[in-house]
Parts: sequence; structure tokens; C-alpha cells
Amino acid sequence: MWYNIFKFEIQYRIKRADTYVFFLFLFLFSIVGVDFIFQGSDMGLMKKNSPIVIAKTMGAITGLFMILASMIMGVSVLRDFEYHIESLIFTTPINKKDYLLGRFLGSFTVLLFAFTGILFGMILGEFMPWHNPEHLLAFNALIYVKMFIMITLPTLFFGASLFFVTGALTRNLVVVYTQGIIVFVIFMLTKAITNDFWQAILDPFSLTTTTFVTKSWSTLTKSTQEIPFIGVLLYNKLFWVAIGIIAMIYGYKKFNFNVVKEKKAKKNQKLVIKRTNEVNDVVIPQVKKQYGLLSKWNQLKQFTWFYFTSIFKQSSFWGIVICGMIIILINSVNLGTVYGVDSYPATYFIVEELKETSMYFFIVLLVFYSGELVWKERGAKLDLIYDATPMSNFIKLLGKYIGLNLIYVVLIFALIGSGIIFQTLNGYYKYEFQVYLSGFFLEILPFLALYTCIAFFIQSIVNHKFLGIMLVIVFFIANIVLGLFGFDHDLYFFGGSALGAYSDMNGYGHFFKPYLIIKAYWFLFGMLLLIIGSLVNVRGVETNVWKRIKASKNRLSKPLFILTTMVCLLFITIGSFIFYNTNVLNAYWTNSKATDFRVTYEKELKQFEYIPQPKIVAVNLQVELYPTTRDYTVEGYYILKNNATEDIKSIHIQKFIEENITLDTISFEGGFTIDNKYGKFDYSIFILNAALKPGDVIKMHFKQSFTTKGFESGNSNVNINNNGTFFNNTDLPTIGYTKKYELNDADTRKEYSLPIRIHTANRNDLNELKNARNGSDSDGINFEMIIGTSKDQTALAPGNLLRKWTENNRNYFHYKMKKTMINFYAIVSAEYEIKKDEWITSQDSIAKTVDLEIYFHKAHNYNIDRMMTSMKASLTYFSNNFGPYQYEQLRIMEFPRYAEFAQSFPGTIPFSEAIGFVLDIDDKKDVDMAFYVTAHEIAHQWFGMQVEAANVKGRLTILETLSQYAAIMVLKQHYSEEKVFQFLETQKENYKKGKDREDAKEPSLALVEDQDYIYYAKGVINMYEFQKVIGEENVNKALRYFLKDWNTTNGKLKMNTDRYATTQDLLDYFREVTPESNQYLITDLFEKVKPLKL
Amino acid sequence: MKLIIDNLSKTYSNGVKALQNISLEIPTGMFGLLGPNGAGKSTLMRTIATLQEADSGYISLGNIDVLKQKNELRQVLGYLPQQFGLYPKISAEVLLNHFAVLKGITHKGERKNLVDSLLHKTNLYDVKKQNLKGYSGGMKQRFGIAQALLNNPKLLIVDEPTAGLDPLERNRFYNVLSELGEQTVIILSTHIVDDVKELCTNMAIINQGQVCLKGNPLQILENLKGRVYKKTIEKLELKAYKQDYKVISEKLFLGKPTIHILSDANPGDGFSLINAELEDVYFSEIFNNTNAKSI
Repeated sequence: MWYNIFKFEIQYRIKRADTYVFFLFLFLFSIVGVDFIFQGSDMGLMKKNSPIVIAKTMGAITGLFMILASMIMGVSVLRDFEYHIESLIFTTPINKKDYLLGRFLGSFTVLLFAFTGILFGMILGEFMPWHNPEHLLAFNALIYVKMFIMITLPTLFFGASLFFVTGALTRNLVVVYTQGIIVFVIFMLTKAITNDFWQAILDPFSLTTTTFVTKSWSTLTKSTQEIPFIGVLLYNKLFWVAIGIIAMIYGYKKFNFNVVKEKKAKKNQKLVIKRTNEVNDVVIPQVKKQYGLLSKWNQLKQFTWFYFTSIFKQSSFWGIVICGMIIILINSVNLGTVYGVDSYPATYFIVEELKETSMYFFIVLLVFYSGELVWKERGAKLDLIYDATPMSNFIKLLGKYIGLNLIYVVLIFALIGSGIIFQTLNGYYKYEFQVYLSGFFLEILPFLALYTCIAFFIQSIVNHKFLGIMLVIVFFIANIVLGLFGFDHDLYFFGGSALGAYSDMNGYGHFFKPYLIIKAYWFLFGMLLLIIGSLVNVRGVETNVWKRIKASKNRLSKPLFILTTMVCLLFITIGSFIFYNTNVLNAYWTNSKATDFRVTYEKELKQFEYIPQPKIVAVNLQVELYPTTRDYTVEGYYILKNNATEDIKSIHIQKFIEENITLDTISFEGGFTIDNKYGKFDYSIFILNAALKPGDVIKMHFKQSFTTKGFESGNSNVNINNNGTFFNNTDLPTIGYTKKYELNDADTRKEYSLPIRIHTANRNDLNELKNARNGSDSDGINFEMIIGTSKDQTALAPGNLLRKWTENNRNYFHYKMKKTMINFYAIVSAEYEIKKDEWITSQDSIAKTVDLEIYFHKAHNYNIDRMMTSMKASLTYFSNNFGPYQYEQLRIMEFPRYAEFAQSFPGTIPFSEAIGFVLDIDDKKDVDMAFYVTAHEIAHQWFGMQVEAANVKGRLTILETLSQYAAIMVLKQHYSEEKVFQFLETQKENYKKGKDREDAKEPSLALVEDQDYIYYAKGVINMYEFQKVIGEENVNKALRYFLKDWNTTNGKLKMNTDRYATTQDLLDYFREVTPESNQYLITDLFEKVKPLKL
Repeated sequence: MKLIIDNLSKTYSNGVKALQNISLEIPTGMFGLLGPNGAGKSTLMRTIATLQEADSGYISLGNIDVLKQKNELRQVLGYLPQQFGLYPKISAEVLLNHFAVLKGITHKGERKNLVDSLLHKTNLYDVKKQNLKGYSGGMKQRFGIAQALLNNPKLLIVDEPTAGLDPLERNRFYNVLSELGEQTVIILSTHIVDDVKELCTNMAIINQGQVCLKGNPLQILENLKGRVYKKTIEKLELKAYKQDYKVISEKLFLGKPTIHILSDANPGDGFSLINAELEDVYFSEIFNNTNAKSI
């Protein structure tokens, strides 16, 4: 008997379009599945069709589209109630077991069919032309099938059982839709489990499970090895299958063939009317009917409220709200974590966390409830009554639209509430309501409101609810994919770009205004969609879309026509205004245009890379910053010196390539002519009237301006800000070919037939041995600068502050460095609080005072003392062990969190607001990272400012690894060894993560290029090991000599050569202090690639 | 005020000719539209109610061109569709108020009075706070007429309103309708002959998309006077009788078929003359029509 029911179910579904729509949807999505799931994550050596990648992608797609499973399974029994044939079916002599089993197996078969879309889609995806064959293993269909059976099948069974049972028991369609969320919530909850093993067992989509299984595997094994179906993975699957079976048993027990649910029936019977014959004497009053704008307004309010409450009252909505709140409370445990230390739960962290985790919930609300609302009257079979009233289609659709947006608002307030609860529980009481409100109402709500327009439009046009839901999801994905391919101009990328990050220092800064304008543009577009949707919407019984489109012209009432015209005009006006800003005032570069530029730049200018050019030996500039308008001018001169052995006849100047920057004037003493052949690259050749003889100097005057013109598409410059400007001298004119403009991506280079790019030169490259950095145009400078800025800001540059004054309502600062310094300086300006202190040292029995200053945003005083302590401790340790500190001041300046780093310049350390300043450091459990990062940056005053490394392999070991070593020694001295180990533990993690991402052979420390997991993480671990064996004292001694000999300005060896130090030089110093018995260690730690010892 | 339907035609995309050159003139008062299932009644009603496009033809109410000035018509239209549902979790009062807003009754106080009096009128006042989910078929139908009356319609269209109602409920429903007076054009579609007989001053019979007969029920009955005969026969004889006579209806009476035939002269043969009922008119028209078709 069950077989007949099974057969019937299959036959029924075979004829339904949904079945194929589901399949096709999964199929199409899965073609780009791997690319979509792994977008933005660096896969390193992992191949795109490695078993683990397939497993994770299948798990993720299955999880993402669990909602489809609930649509297929949930309606299986529910359908009988929906079509009111339950009375017919339940009175036939079938028994419950056969009925349920037949239905379940039937729809499960259909479910499997639909989800094989993943299998076939992914297989086809492997052959898509955009994959690089190097990123793929040999094709093996069996792997896909195996993974499908191992990963997807059990999850589907679990989901199928659960959804089938809930559908049968609740008999409520909305519950069926929303239960996919519940499974997703379970998944999110498992992320909060700290025990890896249990997390692996409980993850319903086995994402963490597969990670757990392969945790100890090498990258190569991971990339090729199949995942064994034993151990944790097996338990995980058994667990969820068991839950599925339990759900089925429960459902079987609870389900009964009663057509009416008993409890509710009783309630309904109360409806008895007592008075039956008082009908006749009622007079129906005459009322005024109005059809003008006022009445439209009233109707709009009525609709809005009506549809709002209709969702608001649903328990499934509250289910979503509660899930959202719970997830936030569990998930936001770790906020703004840097180096394993959490930040204070500042509101903007909470808001970012809330936005990220709640997106799924909002989208579910959007996708399903927009379908529900558009179909509401038809679902209740009330549509004909509605349609025969003189209401306006547009007002009705608009009412539904606003109602749904109000629903989002309810969820938003619930989320804000849970955010505040979270802050309170963590003892943080600075609730910044305006940050909460702006985060949600300026970012999330407009995003949702725009996509809701799309959803309403689609639902109005296609006249098929499921298909509409699918199309909305397809639109979401298509838009993301479009953005990934670089089609992201704000004028045609739906919704425009996201609002830039919020910074305590700079608020939303200059992102805000263009964001609003672009949102207004899209919102008008959305309005047009709603209007079109309302014109074409089904009214009456005609459903054919062409007939509806034809009929729509009669529906355009006069007021609506006026509104449409106005919206259209405004849309075009704002669109033109945006176009004027992004494409006329500013240049818009598509990805391909930028690539072409880079290619031709390299092809035409590479010839000049190593031609003899003079070096900058002095810089004297007057900088005027205008923070309110985000402009600046830089005027002054460089002194250039010919260090070469031959005459220099022409000087090549590269202007920084950015639309906003102009080089207004440039001139050379003694006269010159300009060759502007390469003007399109902002690269000018100045032919001097009189050649520059070896050893001669020449003054180069210039004026550069940065002018903000309107706004740009996408994210604009984040260095020049209203509060927190931070840029360095690489923005100023540089001399000669600039390597950073070359195209980097290996595959694209191949496409354009460019030679393989050598990222970092070999240690015997004679050209680069003479450079301390890419395209170095200086071997040290004298520096002087006057900076003017607005009255409320402090401007900073390296050097002693000679004078400070106010003029024309502006603050001026005159800095001059008394010593030669490297040609690397930053200009910083913001509103600051200042913490001052001093550090006294007695070098050669002369007491010397160094001014210590920390410039910080006024609310960020949490860790200032820690930083100050670190400044003193570091200066003491480094000057005692490595040699004297060279400047008379040391400053730390906070800058906005658009970048997350700290960087050392001579005597000045710009330090991002995101790291250190807002860390909530608990000395019991955390490493004092504010202390550590400060120490690291101060170490650069030695390794980087005093000794520079040649621009060849191993350069960053000298600069970064040594700074890491120096910093950890200070940490060890000031805290305990235990903390050191705790820190090294995090570095070990970083190393492992980095190694997993690596797609080339790991280099040794001596030959490291730009792999930060080696020069930071492995470097510090190996240095620690090294000093443990040969003694801290010995290492410091070696470094002291190294510094002395290779100091850029007065090193004994450096003065007699034009090259810079390499790791080869450094290791010689190490060898000198290492006893014979341990010499092998230097080879092992620095020259070979060996596993970590720690 | 008259509703004029002129040459209205509609063919569905599957080829079904739902309306064929329908022309009717409907004055104020109750108008009965009689026809078997699938005759095209609902299509006609929906077309008048602006819910469906016609292929050709013309409809006007007073000076409103119904097919073009849809919104103008909707302002004076009350419509009760053949089948409709109600939001289960909303009370009658709230939903009726909601519809009142849709129909342009802006003033809050007036609206409340109107809703209350209509609830009284349809005898739903006692249960106005209850969710509509628990309403019986009759209550639901009365709610339907209440919403149709909200805007004091000049044209009221009720499509098979009494299907499935028990006799008591049916009477209650018609009591409400009959009170609407002579100011309104009321079109009542039904396949129940008695409904028309009891209520309507004018009527039309349509079948297979065509108007077979129109006029005043009394006049129409006059036409059949002395032409309808009745006889109770055995089941086996039925076929033979159908060949020999114009059998317009057959009914079971105490288990035996009773047939009505149409004949201008007395057929004898045990037939007895009866007073023609409206039902006979209905059946005879359908008989004629279908026969004409099949020839």
C-alpha cells in the first residue's frame, strides 16, 4: 500500500514545475559553487577539486539551501490540508504508517533528485573555462559521488525528516518556510562551542567536522587525500541521522488522521449568535466617500499597518527574532580580536557583528515575507474582493512594502536590544545609540529596502510564488557575482557600494554623503520598480503576463503618472549628478582598464628601471592640510645629488598615480626642457640644460596638490580624512620607474604575455643590493617640514618641533630632524589628546632626554599607560643591548581604523585605532599586545631606521624578524616567560595558517620574500629558540655589531660600500657568537626549511 | 441608472467561448442571472466587476464606460464573488473596517458607525470581535455582503451567494438583499431557480455563453402557460419518452421519474397539464439551447 502512495507522490511531483526549478537552481548555483563558497579565501596549495574542498562546498551549499529541502519536504502532507482534500484521503482505508512512509519516501526521492543538482553542477563546474588547470587535480567523478553520499545525503535525511514532520504536524506553510532557519541557527550555535571535538560532532553541515578530521594533515595530503568516513565524521553523520529518525518516530506518534485539530475546534464552537431577528430596523448611515490624495494617504497608512501586524502577529516571525537575538549573544563573544586579545565591546564592534550575523535572518524575512505579502490576498482567496474595490494597486503594494520594512525595524530594535544586553553583561556601559541607529538605519535598512523592491517587483511580475522566491535568490547571487567580476560602478551595481567602515576618530567620514546620494538614486529606481510592479500586478483573474503588460497602460492613473514622471526625472537627475561626480570630476577605472594601464606601464617604462638617477639628499617642504575639504598642497624642494660615476642629463619623475593628485609646478635649477612622451603614465622626463656631474647637487622645486572633487565610485581615498589624515612620502613625486605599478597576478601576466615577475631579487642582484626598497630614490635625507592644518587638529611629521604657532585661524608646526634619516616620513593630522612623558638615558656619561608622546583619540585612553610603559622599557632594553637611540623624540599617533597596522617612521609611529588602543587586555589571561606592538615598532627605530636591508631576498628577516625578536625580549623582561610562550603559541598558529595558504615552496628565513607567516611568525619562534641555545647576551652582541657595521649613516662597513646588508651578512654575525657545536643551528633555523621546534 | 451590456464576447485561450455576443439591459432592482454550472455566469459577472477583460463589446453603467473607466465603476461597485476566503486570524470588525478604508470611507467616526450598522444588519454584531476562522458558511456569506455594501453601491454583483447555505441562512441573506431598495442595480447569479422566483423583478437565462431568454419572470411564465405537462413513469420507459416528447426535466418523485414535457397541444397518454414553474422555463430554455447546439 505504501508503495502506491509513494508512486502517487512521485507522479504528482514529476508533473510539477517546482521540482525542476529546484534542481535547476541548485545545478546552476553549484557550477559556481566552489568559487562562491571559497571566494576571497586564499586556497594556497589546495586544489579547487580537492576532496576536502568538494566536501566543504557540498556541505555549505546543502546548508545554505536547506530551505529548499523544507519547501519540498514540508509541503508533502501539508498539501492535503491546503487543497482541502484531507477529508477525502483520511477517510480511505489506508493506514497511518503507509500514508506517512509513502509520502516521506516519495518526497525524499524528489528531494534527492533536486539536490543531485549540486552533484552534477559541481562536476560541470570543474570544466568551466575560468579555472586554471594548475589549480585542479585530475578529474575524478567518483570523488564527487562519494562526497555527495558522505556529506550531503545524511544532512538531507536529517533535514527531510525534520521538515516532513514539522510540516505534517503544524500544517502551517510559513512554519515550513522558516524552519530552514532553525537548522541554520543550530549551525551558528555550534560555532560557539569551544571544544573542537564536540563542535565537529554537532555541526549539522560538517564544515567544522571536515576541518577537524584534516587538522593534522599536511597541505599536500589535504589537497589530495580523500576524507575517510570514520571517526568524528562518521559520528557526526550518525548523530544527525539519529536525530532525523527520532524526529520521524515522534512525528509518527503525534500525527493523526483527524481533519480538525481538536483544541482549536472547541474554541470555534463558541460562535453562536443570540439575536437573530433584529436585523430589519437597522439603518445604514450615509457616509462620504473620498478618492483624493487624503484618502490615498489614509489607505496607505491602513495597508501599512494591516500588513505589518499580519506578520508581526506570526509566531514564525518571533521565532526568527528570538533566534537572531540568541545568536548575537553567543556569537559576539570575540570582538575585534587582534593577536588573540579581544577589544572592548565598543558599539561599532557590536554593530558590525550584528550586521554580519543577522544578515541571513533579514534575507530570509525579505525573501519569504515579500512572497507572502504579495500573495496574501490570493492565498486567502480574498483577492477578488480586494480587486473590485477602488483601491490603487500602487498604494496597496506600497503599503505592503512599508509594512515589511517596519518588520525589519522590529528585528533591528530586537537586535539592538540584545547588543545592549551583551554590552551590559560585559560591564561596558557606553552605549552609543547613534552608532547603533546609524549602523542599522543607514546601512542595513536601505540595503534591505532596496532588495525588497526587487523582491516585490519579481513577485508581482512572475505570478508564481516559488519561482519568485527562487528568482529573488538568483538576483542576490547574480549581483554578488557581478561585483566579483568587477562590474561594480555605483550607477549599475544594484544598490551601490556599502558604506565605508565606521571609525571612532572619523565617524563615517567622507563616505557618508556620496553613500546617501547613491542610495537615493537606487531608492528612486526601487520606486520605479514598485510602480511597474503595481501596474503589471495581477488584478482580477487575468494572469497571462503579456496581457497584464498590455492592460497596464489603462491602470496608470493621473496622480500615479505624475508621481512616476517625477520619480523618473529625479532618478535621471541624481543619476547624472552621480555620473558627473564619478566619471567626469573623477576618472572611473574599470578593472580591465587598470590592468591595461599596468601592462603598458611596464612594457614601455621598464627600460628605465636601473638608469642612473640622482638621489634625494634633502627634503624641505611646506604642507598645507585642509581637513574639512580633504585637500592639501605640498610645496618646497628636494635636493638631488648625483651619486653615480657618470653625468646625468635627464631626471625621470613619477607623479603618484591618483586622480586627485596634481603636480602643479616642477622646476630644476639651471634650466630644463620637458619630454612628456610618457605623460599618460604621469611620468615626465626632464632634460637638464646642464648635465649633473658626479657629486653635484641640484634643487628640485615642486608643488603638489591633492584636491577632492565631488566623489568617486566605490571606496575612495582613505588617507586624507576629515579627522585622521595619514599619508607618507610615497604619495609625493618619486624618481624613476616605480615597480609597484606593475601587474602582480601571475595568471594575468601570462595572459598579457609579460615575463614572470620576480617579486624579490636574489641576494646577488647588483642593482637591488644598492636599493634599500623598491625603486629607492634616496640613501638618506636631511628633513625639514612646516605643516599647517585646521585649528582643532595637531599635525605631525618626524623631527624636533622647532616652532608651533597659529596663523589665519590655522595651526602650524615646524619640524626639523637634526640627523640624517631615511627617506621615509609620514604626515599625520587629527584632533588629539596628548600623553607626554620623558625617558632619560646616559650615553657616554652625558644625560640625554628623549620626549615621549602619545597622540590619541580622546575616548581611547584604555591602554595609553601600557604603551608608555612599553616605550620606556623598549628604549631602555634596545639602547642597552643594541646601541643608542638616535632621535630626541619618540611619538605614537593614532590613525583611523581603515587600515590595521602600526608603522615606524623616524621617531614617529602611526598606530591604527583598530589595534592596541581599544584592546580589552586582561593581564591574567591575555598577552599585553598594546605593549608588544609598541615594542615591535620601537625596535624598527633600530632595524629599519638605523640599519637598512638590501632590497633582496631576506630583507624582511632583517627588518621584521629582528624587530620581533627585540620586542619579545622586552616582553620577557617585563612580563613572565609564560606570557612569551603564550605569544609564541599564537605565532605558531599564524605560521600554520600561512603555510596552508602558501601555493609555492616555503622559503627559508634567509631567503624570505613577502611571506609574513615566515618573517613574523616563524622568525620570532626561531629567534627565540636561537637565543635560548646560545644565550640572549650573545645574540644581542651579534646584533650590536651588525648595527654598528651596517648603520646606514655611519656604519663602518656601510661607509665603504654602496650596497646594503643582506641576511648573509647578518648570519655571519650570528656565526661569530655561536660556539662550533651549535653552528648547525644557524643553518637549521635560518637557511633551511625545517619544522618548528617549539 | 441602467446597466447596459452590448455584444459582449470572451473566448478563453483554451478555446472555450465563455461569452458570445451577450446583450442585456439591466434596470435598478434585483436582476436574476440563471444558468447551469459553466454557463458563463461568473465570467460575465467578473467582467462587469472589472476583474476580467472582454474581447469585444461594451458595458456601461449610467455614464461610466465599465471596460475603460474601471476605477470609476469600482467606486460604485459592490461585489461578492462566488468563492472567497477570509483572513483567519482577524476579526470581522477589523477586516470590515479595512475594506471600508479601501473603499474611500476616510472619516474615522463615520466609518465606525457604518461598520457597526452593517454588522448589525448582517447580524454579525455579537461576534464582531471573534476571529473569522470560526465563522460558519452563512456567517461568512453575510460578512461578504456586508463588505459589498460598505460603499453604498449603485451596482451590486452577487455571484451564487447561497450555494451551500441552509434554508434559514439563505433567507437571512435574501432579507438583507431585498432591503436594498430600488436605487441599486443588483445582479444575482444563481443556478437555483427559486432564488430568482422569490426575489427578482427581471431575469435572464444564459447557457453556453449565450443569453437564451430575458425578461420579467411573470411574463416569461405567461409564455409557458398551458404548454407544460407532467407524468410519472417507470425508469425503463424514460428513453422512449425522451424520443417522443420534448422532455424538459426529469425528477424523481417517491423513487419514480416524473417528467415534464413541453407541448403546444395536449399530448394525452396520461400527461396532465400543470402550472408552469420558473424551473420549467429554465429547463426548457436549456433544453432548447443544447438541442439546437447538437443538431
